[in-house]
Amino acid sequence: MHFLSYILRQTGKNLRQTWGTQLLTLLTVTLSVLLFAFFFLIYTNMLNAGKRLGDEVRLIVYLDQEITEQMRPELEKKIGDFGPVDKIVFVSRNEAFARMSAQLGQEKDVLNDLDPDFLPPSIEVYPLKNLKDLSKISQFSDFLLTLPHATKVQSGSDWLRRFGHFTNLLRVVVFLSGSLLIISMTFIVSYTLRLTVLSRQSELEILKLLGATRAYIRLPLLLEGMLQGFLGSSFGLAALYLLYQSIDSHFSNPGFLKLFDFAFFPAEITAAILLASIVLCTAGSLFSIRRFIRI
Amino acid sequence: MPKDAITNEPLIEMVNVTKIYPPDVAALQDISLRIYKGEILFLTGMSGAGKTTLIKLACCLETPTSGRIDVAGRDLSLISPAGIQRMRQKIGVAYQDFRLLDKQTVFQNISMAMEVTYASTKAIRERVEELLTMLNLSDKRDKLTGDLSRGEQQRVALARAAANRPSLLLADEPTGNLDLTTTKLVINLFRHLNEEHGSTIVVATHDESIYAETEHRVVALSNGHLSDHPRRTPQQGELFEA
Repeated sequence: MHFLSYILRQTGKNLRQTWGTQLLTLLTVTLSVLLFAFFFLIYTNMLNAGKRLGDEVRLIVYLDQEITEQMRPELEKKIGDFGPVDKIVFVSRNEAFARMSAQLGQEKDVLNDLDPDFLPPSIEVYPLKNLKDLSKISQFSDFLLTLPHATKVQSGSDWLRRFGHFTNLLRVVVFLSGSLLIISMTFIVSYTLRLTVLSRQSELEILKLLGATRAYIRLPLLLEGMLQGFLGSSFGLAALYLLYQSIDSHFSNPGFLKLFDFAFFPAEITAAILLASIVLCTAGSLFSIRRFIRI
Repeated sequence: MPKDAITNEPLIEMVNVTKIYPPDVAALQDISLRIYKGEILFLTGMSGAGKTTLIKLACCLETPTSGRIDVAGRDLSLISPAGIQRMRQKIGVAYQDFRLLDKQTVFQNISMAMEVTYASTKAIRERVEELLTMLNLSDKRDKLTGDLSRGEQQRVALARAAANRPSLLLADEPTGNLDLTTTKLVINLFRHLNEEHGSTIVVATHDESIYAETEHRVVALSNGHLSDHPRRTPQQGELFEA
């Protein structure tokens, strides 16, 4: 009990003695965590959105004339021979018109003066999940264009490709901000601790002469680093959560966030970021302790 | 501790100890000495005789160039750094240059010695108050040591050395800055530690007034050599022959 009380008291003393530097370090750790967590949050949400979009991929083959009931099995076989599909839906002109009318809801009156046959018939092809690779979708799309009466194929693969590129770019940003996080935490905490050690140099010398153990001298310094990691990451994550709440309340309905189902980190990820910050800051402390304290 | 109660068991045993500081300053040469448990020993000699070096060797602040030092039967050169630290908690040292923290109070400076042993706050407060009373420093309790006179700082250093009721107290010129009255307080502190707690006391001094009337053993150092002293006690005072 006395041991713990001394260690905690000594840690408090260290923090008080170099409070200005401690505050700056805390701010740096907080901003580093906030920056990293912000990009990581966007990245994970984009990954989830991409996964959802990928699950909903369908290829629409627009035709210049209706497909008769007799022709359908032959087309289904042809498409099935090229690649495995989940289902194939034939949409007539009338069905397309009915869908559009339903989508417009109360605004469907705008269709009153139009010919119900003005929309082209189409075939909707839903590939199986193992065919969701973008290059395969593209090949499938090229094949579908060779079907009889096909005039255009809409696959959304270009959009998905661009989305994929954006996600890759975001991955690089997350990697860079993560590296910044590691560097800033390890080095800044290490530097701060060095200042603590230097400011207490004469005291540490005397403590050594009085028989202070390694634990008595080193543990408070190690605890100081751990505390910086814990508080810095807590403040950083709390700031990110407030930012998220603010964005969520401003764009809640209807809009971008609903479209992408923007969500905050699950508890495991939050805990992992906290833990990683504590470990990094402790490593920074350990580095300084090993380098500057000879006991 | 009464002289006849001193054990024959040596607390410190130095065998052919030589200490040479670079480049070739021989502070101690071929010293062999036993200091017994419960003994009060006066180590005398002129400035530069090697008294401080001997004190530093006994508390592991220096290592001998050659020879062997045993403390409580253990060869110092074989004790691990952690073991040395544990041993230092049982050795009180009052340094000639005091080694106090000027920006801390008298209370904080003294209590530091007990804090490293994880003593309770109550025990620390009681012991520090007791020492302050014994050394007539009660009114200086919350003063910064940097604001004290040399004599007061010297007493604070002695109080810190005595705080843990050490098995061995090494005092280097403990009365150098003190008047006769405060010198008596210091001597009383040594006597109290020795008699009540069985502490072994080694006092390095060139102040003859301290040991002139003593019945305790007195050994003299001269130019790094130990010499017999006429005032040594016959039953315990033999210089150890290696």
